[in-house]
Amino acid sequence: MEYTEALKVVRSKVEELAAKPNLGEETQLIGDGSVMDSMKLVELCLALEDHASEVGFEFDWTSESAMSRARSMFRTIGTLAAEFAEQSQQ
Amino acid sequence: MTVIVTGASRGLGAAITQRLLKREVDVFGIARNIDGVPCDAASCDVSSYDSIKRVAKELKQSKREITGLINAAGIASMNLALTTTKSSTQKILQTNLAGTIYCCQHFAPLMIRKREGAIINFSTIAVAIGLKGESIYAASKAGVEGFSRSFAREVADFGLRVNCIAPGPIDTDLLNGVSAGQIKRIVAQQVIAVQHTKDDVCDLVELLLDPRSNSLSGQVFNVGGV
Repeated sequence: MEYTEALKVVRSKVEELAAKPNLGEETQLIGDGSVMDSMKLVELCLALEDHASEVGFEFDWTSESAMSRARSMFRTIGTLAAEFAEQSQQ
Repeated sequence: MTVIVTGASRGLGAAITQRLLKREVDVFGIARNIDGVPCDAASCDVSSYDSIKRVAKELKQSKREITGLINAAGIASMNLALTTTKSSTQKILQTNLAGTIYCCQHFAPLMIRKREGAIINFSTIAVAIGLKGESIYAASKAGVEGFSRSFAREVADFGLRVNCIAPGPIDTDLLNGVSAGQIKRIVAQQVIAVQHTKDDVCDLVELLLDPRSNSLSGQVFNVGGV
C-alpha cells in the first residue's frame, strides 16, 4: 500500500471516530491538540488492524519497533499513515 | 462465546475449566503443558509476551467470540524474601504479574470489539494480611490488584469489567510446602474462618462472569473475607 492510499484510510477512520470532517496530515492524534481521546485512539488502532486484515497484511500497533521510535507513530494522521503504509509493504 | 482460562492444566485453572465446561460454556485453555486439558487449548507460557501475542492472533483469526478471560496461571515459592534467589524472584514476578498484564493487553482487544466482556485476575489473601514467608508472591499479586483497578477504568468505556479474586489457602499445588499449622493460622485471619475450596472459587468465577454482576468492576473479592 502506498502512502497516499494509507493516508486516505487513516484520515477516513479518524474523521469517522472523531466525528470531524476534512482533517489533514498534520492533525494531531495525541497530546493537548489531539482530535481524539485515548479511548478513541484504541478504537482507531483496532479499526486499522481490521482494515489491514481485510486487505491482506497485519498491522501491529503494539510492536516494540513501532512504539519505541524516538517519535511516536501516533503523532499525527500523517505519521500513522506512514507507519501503516510501511507495515503493509513488509 | 468463549472464555479463555490461563493455567488450565492444574489447580484453580483446571477446576474453573471443568466447572465452565460443566455449564456448557465454551472454554479455551492456555497452559504450558496442555496434555489432558479437556477443551481447545494452546500450549503457551504466559510470561512470554510474544507467545501470548501469537495466541491472541490465532484466536482473532479463528473468529472465536471471546467474552471472558480468567487469568488463573500463577506460581508461588513459599520463602522469605531474604532467602529467595534472583531467578525465583524474577520468575514469580514475570509469571504472576507480567503474565497477567500480557494476557490482558492481548486478549482484551478481542473483547473490546464486541463491547462486552469480563476479566478475572487472581490475587491472594497474602496481600491483605501481609503474610510472612510469601513476600515475593504477595508483591506480585499486589501488583495484579493495582493493575486490575487501573485497567478496569481503562476498559470500562469499552464495556469490559475487570475484577480480582483473592483466595485464602485453597487445596492446590501452590500450597505444597505450607504446613497444616500455617494454613490454620492463615484461615483464622479470615472473616469466615474456614478453609474454602476450589468449588467456592468457581462459584465466584461464575458470578463475576454473569451479566448480573455488570455493576462490579475494579474490585478485589477476598474469598472468606479479610
